[in-house]
Amino acid sequence: MTSVFHETAAEPQTRSVPLSHVSLELGHLYMEDFAGGPERLREHFAKIAPWAETARAAAAAAVPRGRPRISTCFLIDDYFTRFSSPAELVPMVLEAAKESGLVIDYLARESACARAGETDVARVVEQRLVESPAPGSDGRRPPAGEVGWLSNGARTPGTSPLDVPLQALSPRTPWQPPRETAARRHSVFVDVELWDEPEQRRVWSCPFLAAVWQLARLGLLRHRGEPLLVPQDHPGAFPEDWDALPSVIRLNERAAAFSAYRIWSLLPSRFLPVEHAVRVILEQTEVEPGPLAQAAERAMAEGITLPEEIPDRIAYVFLPES
Amino acid sequence: MRAPGAEPGRPELLCGEVRTALLHSYDPVPHSSAAQLLKLRGDAPVLLSERPNLHARSPEVLTGVDCVLPSVSGARTRCVGTVRARACVNDGRVLQAAGYFGVAVAQGGERRQWSHYLARPGTVETFGRLRHDDIVRGFLGTGQTAAGVLDAGATAERLLTRVTAHPALDGNRRVPFKSRRTRLRWTARAAPDGEAVIEGFTLAEGGLRTLALRLPASTLAAPGVVAAFCEDIAQHDWLLTNLVHLVERGRLGSADRARAVRSLSPAIDQLLHLWMPGARVAKELSPLWDVLEGEPGFSRQWQTLVQRIRDQLALHTISLLHAERVPAEHMTTH
Repeated sequence: MTSVFHETAAEPQTRSVPLSHVSLELGHLYMEDFAGGPERLREHFAKIAPWAETARAAAAAAVPRGRPRISTCFLIDDYFTRFSSPAELVPMVLEAAKESGLVIDYLARESACARAGETDVARVVEQRLVESPAPGSDGRRPPAGEVGWLSNGARTPGTSPLDVPLQALSPRTPWQPPRETAARRHSVFVDVELWDEPEQRRVWSCPFLAAVWQLARLGLLRHRGEPLLVPQDHPGAFPEDWDALPSVIRLNERAAAFSAYRIWSLLPSRFLPVEHAVRVILEQTEVEPGPLAQAAERAMAEGITLPEEIPDRIAYVFLPES
Repeated sequence: MRAPGAEPGRPELLCGEVRTALLHSYDPVPHSSAAQLLKLRGDAPVLLSERPNLHARSPEVLTGVDCVLPSVSGARTRCVGTVRARACVNDGRVLQAAGYFGVAVAQGGERRQWSHYLARPGTVETFGRLRHDDIVRGFLGTGQTAAGVLDAGATAERLLTRVTAHPALDGNRRVPFKSRRTRLRWTARAAPDGEAVIEGFTLAEGGLRTLALRLPASTLAAPGVVAAFCEDIAQHDWLLTNLVHLVERGRLGSADRARAVRSLSPAIDQLLHLWMPGARVAKELSPLWDVLEGEPGFSRQWQTLVQRIRDQLALHTISLLHAERVPAEHMTTH
């Protein structure tokens, strides 16, 4: 029996986004890469190209019916350092990719993962963190989180400012190691800095912004039900100022959707610690049920089973630096 | 080890606690302010409803737990997962905070990656045998929850404190009357014949009430719906508790009727219009309200109290009219 009466403000709404089968990330561009000149970029894409082809073939093989929808994307850091201009840089990146036979469908700005328009995108995600509880957590206290840090286990007792009084009481407490909560016998304990605030201004860490980025690519990012980091069409000539460029731009008119059921990141191996941190963050992020259900339903209708855990939807290829 | 028909990961049992209090504000807060109070997160909206009464509900927040389940037998069944908490403000006057969770049997004997638990929010998974009776009796027990034992009430309390401490309520610390807080602990498990029943509703000491439910599997699969039903029961039990208390303190029938009526005015101003049992209860659960109306008869007691208050008002009005007329008659005789 359905109800005859509805109130829109009383019912949660989630706008859906189009979803590809797979999104391939063809790299992150930081200042140091740019400083290496077009040659460095060409090398990067030449190294990526065969793996991108492999990822594409693997992704296509996993699609049970119909034409595979695969899109590519590329992230440029305009958050930690501002260098060059879109007018100079974007054509250079596209040209370098093209030389290796790669097409970049979508280009995104890293600062959009912190703030897009009026929305504090990073804060939206921060508010959805649910810290993994240490054994013994019974709901009386929220997990003893360190402000601005997130770990994958229990820190060494006495190493937190909160523990100082405890230490003072028993100065001879022997050292105890930190512990990864889901350790397989031995721990790989990671403590991730989410942000710092020099001069009262919050600066989000690279792993935190990368976690936001991966959620956007998975089509799971919403603010009050509205999708964030929605691609906009290529505005013609690229502007001189980064702020004049939309958060995510669509460069290829025929591209499949930006967000996808599953995502691949093809990155130089120096990104491995960052992406480990991303997984620590995403493992403790409660994604909104609305977009999760939408993705699951649509995947099922296409005969695809999606892993229910978010980190399991992300695959990586780490490439040698040189 | 498992109950027949049980599946790993699917909650077989729901437990929760609702804490109900008068919102710390002299006047009822407008609907828009209630939305501000309940904005626990920026990313999810406060749900606002205006029919059939004003109801604002916060987004839900999760708290991770890794501890043991309540038990009377002393079994230490470890559970890992998350507890949901949410708060609501009804008619700008009553504040409720609820903590609740479902209990499912884990597959395997080891704690898994945390993302596994976040993929089933509001569920705790237990390692080892799930003794429903033991957990229900342990959870509904009147004693203090020991440290290391899952405490849904504590998550609700934390939310209640957070909303009460909201700066929007600052400078407005007076309350219209001294109220009593109540807490309702509830459990719901599968009904053997698929029919929703109340196994027991108990009024215990110290404002504690317990409610044991048996529900069809389809209803158990919607914990938010069950929690909303329990919030509704808790709110009406709170109203009744506080109205009884106000009437008691008013010492009706004593010589000073003006004083009695004065002490009843908060009830008239603040509470009488809030009675609306079942207003936000799902259709499949509304028959349960009828059971409580039969025994102990919530509305019967409420109507009797309301009638008593109105009788007092009527008598007081008559005596005032009489008092006015007496001096007037005096004047004509002189």
